[in-house]
Amino acid sequence: MMTKNIIELSNLTKTYQKGSADEVKAVDDVCLEVAQGEFLTILGPSGSGKTTLLNLIGGLDKPTVGTVILDGLELSKLSDGELVKVRREKVGFVFQAFNLIPTFSALENVEAALAPTGMPKNERLERSEELLGLVGLEQRADHLPAELSAGEQQRVAIARAFANKPRVLLLDEPTGNLDTKTGKEILEICHRTSKEQGQTVVAVAHAGYVRKYTDHLLFMRDGKLFSHIPQEEFEEAL
Amino acid sequence: MNPLTYALREIRRRKYRTAVNVAGFVIAISTLITLVMAARGWETCTTVPLNSIGTDIIMFYTAPIKASGEGCYIVNHLFSYPFNQSMLTDFESVPEVERAVPILMHRLRAMVFTGIDPSETETNAVLPSSIIEGRYLTPDDGYVAIIDKEYAVLNNLTLGSTVNYAADFEVVGIVDVSATNIMKSHIYVNLPVVQEVLPEKPIGLVNMALIRTSSPGKVKQTAAALEERWSDARTLTGSDLAETAFGVIQMNEETAWSISVALAAVTVLFTVKSQLGNVAERTREIGILKAIGWSNSNVVNQIVTESLIQGVIGGILGCALGYVFASYVLSTIGGEIGGALKFVTVDPVLLSVGFGIALSSGVVAGLFASFRAARLAPAKAIRTV
Repeated sequence: MMTKNIIELSNLTKTYQKGSADEVKAVDDVCLEVAQGEFLTILGPSGSGKTTLLNLIGGLDKPTVGTVILDGLELSKLSDGELVKVRREKVGFVFQAFNLIPTFSALENVEAALAPTGMPKNERLERSEELLGLVGLEQRADHLPAELSAGEQQRVAIARAFANKPRVLLLDEPTGNLDTKTGKEILEICHRTSKEQGQTVVAVAHAGYVRKYTDHLLFMRDGKLFSHIPQEEFEEAL
Repeated sequence: MNPLTYALREIRRRKYRTAVNVAGFVIAISTLITLVMAARGWETCTTVPLNSIGTDIIMFYTAPIKASGEGCYIVNHLFSYPFNQSMLTDFESVPEVERAVPILMHRLRAMVFTGIDPSETETNAVLPSSIIEGRYLTPDDGYVAIIDKEYAVLNNLTLGSTVNYAADFEVVGIVDVSATNIMKSHIYVNLPVVQEVLPEKPIGLVNMALIRTSSPGKVKQTAAALEERWSDARTLTGSDLAETAFGVIQMNEETAWSISVALAAVTVLFTVKSQLGNVAERTREIGILKAIGWSNSNVVNQIVTESLIQGVIGGILGCALGYVFASYVLSTIGGEIGGALKFVTVDPVLLSVGFGIALSSGVVAGLFASFRAARLAPAKAIRTV
């Protein structure tokens, strides 16, 4: 049976102007297809373009050249309002630095993703509590981010990413600021939940243990994607 | 998490910035209210003393007119010489002069004795509306008088009592005359009787004319026209009175508004700058919110709500402080004429306008800042440290 592609990248390039003349290709002519429900991990050294690639897939940034098709929608053809809707309904982001709103409690940080959807307040709270339960933080719902450990903050970020039942979960170094044990717990939660809900995951990572949860592993270097790289380069990348 | 709750948290989180923004609103609004009310107080000082007796200009001679009379009558702080009553008809020929009313005011030591024409009920040294006991004078009255309430109390005088000033008069009325009335006297008697009983025998003479104009906006010009035509005469308008007694703030309401609007504009610019700083500090946070699905309008709504709340706080405090300052200014300035300010209270409409300015300034500042926030590209904003 043919599996439908949820993400299709064609000749995707993102160029940044560095100084007056120099151009840096953060993403260089990337072509990629990701099947629905797949857990894809991209490994690569810092500055290889992984975060930029995730931003392009999630509609946070626009490509210089090429196309991103997400769940059948070509992002470059969407208006700003339609892109907002894509980010709200189809994509969930988890960042390395957690990126929680410091004045919001754990519960409110999750609810913040539901607030623009028009969902009634009591339903939002119910859903947020359910999501915090999913990541094991139901007892910490009223705590501010500063009162949570790094692992707990990342779990709140994961709960927030799952809030709108996105088709695609984009994990940007989700274990980068965590110790190995907590990092594995976080990946375990992401893996289990995404499989339960049939979500596609694209993760970029340094940590080697991410391979355990991955259906498909790719490498990125200098803005380009590779399916295989020499062992020594792979080790250097980790 | 609704925008209001979020806004209140951000305001608490950024106490210093909020305090500075609110202080800007408070200074602008309290200054607006204080200046405008002070200006109104001053304008009241210029109008009440004369308007309370229905006149716009007092006209008199400060030097003897050889042909028309003799003797010197000291009237309050003015040295006023008698002139022929028939000249009042000439005064009425001047454009804008609607009515010239004769007054003969005589002062002996601390007593002021005034002759009035009781048929003049719109403009006069004392008006029928001032009667609190008994009756007003009539043109047929002879040796009867109406007396001031304070004078009556001080001397245990009641209706039917007899007062003496060059002759005996039966008290037929008691009047309550404001201290701001420049023509306030102890005893008022029919003018022909005063002319008859005074030792100088000023038959057919008066020493003051109360001029009522047809255009209140042209009082100064009318006074100038009268002085030009009768070069020995002097005129006194409300502004002249206020200038002699009121030295603290002399500005009209238009000037007060101009200063206040300029100050409000500066406050808006200052608040815009501060709110832009607020947005710059929260660039990353705004990027996160956009990444999780907040639209530009959600962001605009949030920033404007925060700015609006600061406007509300600033407006309330500004109005309260303005009320206190304005009340203080109105209670302490004006000298002898300051009593007129009891007619001036802090205007609730002005407070509403002040509050409205604070609110709209908050919205304007919030809009400027929020449009910049809305334009932020989420990926770039999130990268901001």
